[in-house]
Amino acid sequence: MVAMFRRRIAVVVCAAAIAALLAGAVGAGYDWSRGSSELEAALVDATPIRVADIPAADDLPARGVFAQSTSTGHFCLSDAPLDAPSMGGGGCNSVDDPLGGSVLTTSLAYDGGPAIETVKDARLIGLAAPEVASVRVVMSDGSSRIVKLKKTKVGSRDFSAYGFRVRKSDLRKGIGPIAVVAYDERGAEIDRQTTGIG
Amino acid sequence: MRKLVLLLAVTSALVFAGAALAVETYGGPRFWYPGDSAGSSWQPGWTRNAFNKATSGYETTVTFIDNVSYAWHGTVRNKEMVTYTYWWSSQVKKAHCKAHTGGHWGGCHVS
Repeated sequence: MVAMFRRRIAVVVCAAAIAALLAGAVGAGYDWSRGSSELEAALVDATPIRVADIPAADDLPARGVFAQSTSTGHFCLSDAPLDAPSMGGGGCNSVDDPLGGSVLTTSLAYDGGPAIETVKDARLIGLAAPEVASVRVVMSDGSSRIVKLKKTKVGSRDFSAYGFRVRKSDLRKGIGPIAVVAYDERGAEIDRQTTGIG
Repeated sequence: MRKLVLLLAVTSALVFAGAALAVETYGGPRFWYPGDSAGSSWQPGWTRNAFNKATSGYETTVTFIDNVSYAWHGTVRNKEMVTYTYWWSSQVKKAHCKAHTGGHWGGCHVS
């Protein structure tokens, strides 16, 4: 009788442990304190929309800037190969606030490093609000580069997207991006996002 | 009874081991100060690395470091709520994350 009771308790405890673990895995969602398994799954399901390009240069292939609105309520912008738009990295904000409270977002991606001279490829992508008329990348030697903006939509809202590749000749000389600056139509600076390699 | 206890132990160990391999939270969750960084264990199977923050506006980096040249791979740096990257390589690697601005809550997770 006692043995049967113990056996039943063991079975119940075992089942409860497995159920709790499975429930936790399914209901994880976006919780910054845990792994975002639901966001990962939602990114797999969300169709990537190509909103800008990163031109081929220095023997490196062209890449795309892809936007995804997920079922978890995120807007994600990533930099990925043209034939594999789900295989890139980037960033996600709330779909209600794709710019994260700014008028410009900037995401830097690079391969190699962390010493800048050993970086093989460095790219910048981002999204800008309609009041942004132009964007420039500020380099560590004080020079700047013009960024081409491409109009796009997130839901029904208008934005501009961009993709930019850092020249290999700059990287070899130890010159990299340190900021991305947004200007209005009068040429006044309206936002500055810092960045950097390393 | 002993068989059932053994079954319970083995089942739990397998489930926990599976969960541990699926996601490793290697940084935090905690409050991050400027310059804080963290690194995961070394695994060939890691492919996704993310710095999840409570809000956007705080600059963070995520990357993978291989165990041969210790070079960085698939590095991404931004101020979004989630900074994430993938590196599709079977090489043994660890995930690394860094808070540049600091002053925020967040956690680094690799899977």
